[in-house]
Amino acid sequence: MIAFVLALVGLTLVKATPLIFAALGGVLAERSGVVNIGLEGIMIAGAFAGVCAAGATGNPVLGVAAGIVAGALLAALLAFVTTRLGFDQIVAGTGVNIVALGGAAFGLVLIFGQPGASREVPALGATGANALTALAFVLAGTVAVFLGATPWGLRVQACGENPHAAASAGIDPRQTRFWAVVAGGAIAALGGVYLALGELDLYSDGMTAGRGYIALAAVIFGRWTALGATGAALFFGLFAALQYTLQRSGIPSELMQALPYLAALVALAGLAGRVRAPAADGVPYLPAQEADS
Amino acid sequence: MSARRRIAGELAVALLIVFGVGSGAMLLAGVAPRDGFAALFDGAFGSPSELSETFVATTALLFPALGIALAFRAGLFNIGAEGQLVLGGLAAGIVGGAFAAPPAPALIVTLLAGTAAGGVWGGIAGFMRARFGANEVIATLMLNVIAALLAGYVVNGPLHAPDANAGETPLLPPAAWLPALVPDTRLTIALPLALAIAAALWVVLRRTVFGFELRAAGEAPQAARRAGIDLPRITLLALTFSGALAGLGGATIVTGVLHRFNTGLSPGYGFVAIAVALVGNLEPLWIVVAAFGFGILQNGALSMQAVAGVPRDVVNVVEGLVIVALAGRRYVAARRTT
Repeated sequence: MIAFVLALVGLTLVKATPLIFAALGGVLAERSGVVNIGLEGIMIAGAFAGVCAAGATGNPVLGVAAGIVAGALLAALLAFVTTRLGFDQIVAGTGVNIVALGGAAFGLVLIFGQPGASREVPALGATGANALTALAFVLAGTVAVFLGATPWGLRVQACGENPHAAASAGIDPRQTRFWAVVAGGAIAALGGVYLALGELDLYSDGMTAGRGYIALAAVIFGRWTALGATGAALFFGLFAALQYTLQRSGIPSELMQALPYLAALVALAGLAGRVRAPAADGVPYLPAQEADS
Repeated sequence: MSARRRIAGELAVALLIVFGVGSGAMLLAGVAPRDGFAALFDGAFGSPSELSETFVATTALLFPALGIALAFRAGLFNIGAEGQLVLGGLAAGIVGGAFAAPPAPALIVTLLAGTAAGGVWGGIAGFMRARFGANEVIATLMLNVIAALLAGYVVNGPLHAPDANAGETPLLPPAAWLPALVPDTRLTIALPLALAIAAALWVVLRRTVFGFELRAAGEAPQAARRAGIDLPRITLLALTFSGALAGLGGATIVTGVLHRFNTGLSPGYGFVAIAVALVGNLEPLWIVVAAFGFGILQNGALSMQAVAGVPRDVVNVVEGLVIVALAGRRYVAARRTT
């Protein structure tokens, strides 16, 4: 029994780690006022770039770095069109996901010469993977402190609640949101890196399997706080872990796989109206003179 | 005039992405863009059979794109067309397989089953939004994943037929096949059906009370509410109809193209259809033109890969970038966030 519980806890941490990274990236973006539907694509970019760099250099740590950079760059594309051009965040984020999925599939053929999956590359191993899990929790605390207790964090929050008031107070909401999304992208990319170089040692098409979307639900359950989202990610991680521990119990595996998504759906309906998003979450900000023209 | 100029500018950006990013990707793959695009267009138009396959792809994109546009016009973003399309196909594969004869009712019931399944799947998100205020974007994303798992479970589990391969239903009886439009091609009357629906949607949006209420809900929700328009009802109906159109699309793939349900029946039509709806400016008749454009890309990409050796996934990159570039379109930017 104790062995079972320990195994379940370990597996929960493994399954939750990528969700925690992605959810933290989502929290950072949404607290600044940008809904980042592109988390899934950013995880894909992190996973694919990480595998490419680890394969090319033989050094998985460089893979981690490359994954972070790729995620930040893709997030920068989303941040640019949403904060500078005032485009719809959700639609643009959907486009980002499709770009990343197609780009990685294209890159697989070009770089690894085969569709579907890359070859195995030097990965982080158990120690490195555990280090990333620890990093996820450290980042959860860091983002919480950053948002709640630093001047920069309060500026980010101001842009998410009322960007016009923030602008009157001398904050540039567009720039603040831009960097919040980019920083969030760098963190979310670590979720993809963990999947590709921590849990596995390769990239395969579809390996993120909607985790970026689960992370979005975790952001809502966590009431847009770093620690709450981390807790929600652990909850979803538990469901994912149960799927593996119960797979010989005769319950259809598809039902078990669907559990985290069903849980997210039910909670989405149950929580809606009772939790409050940042007031300007998802609302494009345009300076007054541009909005009038 | 300025609105028209803006639309023209947005289209120019989309074309620039197609040819610019397309050329860049071809160069990366070591292929001269001229050869790559020649292979693409040859694969899309080169022969009557290739042209017919382009129309098959056009049709497959048209149904979900019309549904997505309908939801957008009501101020709602249905990212769930993919899941609705898959379940529409699944329902058609199951119901169609139950018929032996006679053809007309068998086909109609099969198509209706697919329409209903897609409608229910879209309606779940609509109900959640209307009743609880749950964000339809996240709900439809979750429902996409659940739909794929559900379809996989149904065809491989309880309804697995001994004579069917994994992930497939048995071949439908010919009674449930859509009649061919052109003999010896996979082009069926699904294309004129989709065109008729596009025309009908144009009429509904412009000339009916429901269409007016739908557009009012999308363009000025506060004013619509004050004018006594029942926004929750519009939300529920818009997402249900949106899903029904995607579901019907899935049913036409099953009854017209594959003649069975297959878990891989859609190479992401529900997502490409977002690009189609945006390029078509959420206007049903322009969406027809846009669907043909993306049909060329989808079908031509196959020969671009086979003949010129450019991985066809580049088409997805192009489509995704088009979505990013057109995320500022008028109705889209006015989307209801609460």
